[in-house]
Amino acid sequence: MEHNINKHISGRFNLELENVRNHVLNMGGLVEQQLNSALDALSKNDAELAKKVCDNDYKVNAMEVSIDEECARIIARRQPAASDLRLVIAITKTIVDLERIGDEAQRIAKVALAEFHTDQQHLLVNIETMGRLVLTMLHDVLDAFARMDVQRAFMVHKNDVKIDHEYEVQTQQIMQFMMQAPNTIPKVMDLMWVVRSLERIGDRCQNIAEYIIYFVNGKDIRHTSTDDIEKTL
Amino acid sequence: MISIALQQDVAMKLDLNNLTDEQKALQIKNLNLFYGDKQALKDINMSIPKGQVTAFIGPSGCGKSTLLRCINRMNDLVENCKVEGEIFLNAQNIYAKGIDVAALRRNVGMVFQRPNPFPKSIYENVVYGLRLQGIKEKRKLDEVVEHSLRSAALWDEVKDRLHDSAFGLSGGQQQRLVIARSIAIEPEVLLLDEPTSALDPISTLVIEELINDLKNKYTVVIVTHNMQQAARVSDQTAFMHMGELIEYTDTNTLFTTPDKKKTEDYITGRYG
Repeated sequence: MEHNINKHISGRFNLELENVRNHVLNMGGLVEQQLNSALDALSKNDAELAKKVCDNDYKVNAMEVSIDEECARIIARRQPAASDLRLVIAITKTIVDLERIGDEAQRIAKVALAEFHTDQQHLLVNIETMGRLVLTMLHDVLDAFARMDVQRAFMVHKNDVKIDHEYEVQTQQIMQFMMQAPNTIPKVMDLMWVVRSLERIGDRCQNIAEYIIYFVNGKDIRHTSTDDIEKTL
Repeated sequence: MISIALQQDVAMKLDLNNLTDEQKALQIKNLNLFYGDKQALKDINMSIPKGQVTAFIGPSGCGKSTLLRCINRMNDLVENCKVEGEIFLNAQNIYAKGIDVAALRRNVGMVFQRPNPFPKSIYENVVYGLRLQGIKEKRKLDEVVEHSLRSAALWDEVKDRLHDSAFGLSGGQQQRLVIARSIAIEPEVLLLDEPTSALDPISTLVIEELINDLKNKYTVVIVTHNMQQAARVSDQTAFMHMGELIEYTDTNTLFTTPDKKKTEDYITGRYG
């Protein structure tokens, strides 16, 4: 079924939905930028950039609040039904996950404020590789959101296993490092948290992919195996 | 998908295509209706479950009121109107030859858009149908008046002025009086043709609440222009367009994940 949100008889309603959708995309863009900067700050040991990420988190939070208000207004005044209703629900959920991704980016940036010893650099490089993978996932899911593209959303959903695998690999590596050099544990634990944050971001991208599929197909695929999802699409 | 079905949902969700005879109040089979050359209903097939509220929605001229009127043969009164097909009420085709239409209409009550009380007292309005049936016993009539007005959520407001003219009531009260009059003769099915379109929002909510109470005892079929009303009061919703039944399913599904594009466009207010 087509989902043209600009085909309502009410031009104002078209505009309201179009606006709220654009605001989500703006918020997504900002969150993507925050994560990108946090990863840069970590790999380049750029404390200034890290601080900027921390300072910018309030913008992400403010966007979540104002988009939520917009959604509440639309529900109260337009009583959306069917795909319009699903869009509003999908948006209110998506922005929660985006806001939390913003928090994770801030957490990573806080770790990047500290300096790391040269023999810990290889850990940073590996984390950066995992981070870029997660960043691509975030980019793809936002792209799928912009186009309301179910196939793309499903690809993102499937790709989360790669992140989970990467998470296992990184934790193993960090643990080995800690066993060899116990005096570094406090410092390296921070890197463990970064890896954990990245893994969580992957899960949140997966959630957003689920909301996209819910909006477009009207199917709730949460807690469903990949094979079963594929069958329903 | 994992979801814990709430008990209420399980109770409400019926398989509309395979209702048992016990669940079925009405069955409409291959119904076609013509006003002269113009076909107003095209091959309608549906089963309406007992003791529930079923709503017909659709744009003006889609045939929803026409379909409703078929259920108590009100269309017989329209000149040039030809009906083909069958409607079963209790396994009896109401379009069969030799059907007593007056008896049918006693069994299938109807309430219209504008309240139409008779120019009589509140009391006489309610007992009108019983008097026609020749019931004279005052105790019986009093009993029916109280019971019907209570069922129609009007008793407390009028119990001290039962013998005043019905025209002294507000629009919303008049509509409830008309509903009381309909249920005084204990029909099985109650047809409501846009029952709140002439009422203010609060009177509308009172009637909607009443519809919800009535469904335990009667099968209610409602035609409404107000989609939110259909969403609020009905268990099943049928969407009609240009004389065809486009989609008929449980109301929760129809308003969240309709199957047909035409339904989607209509309920979301898009250009067709």
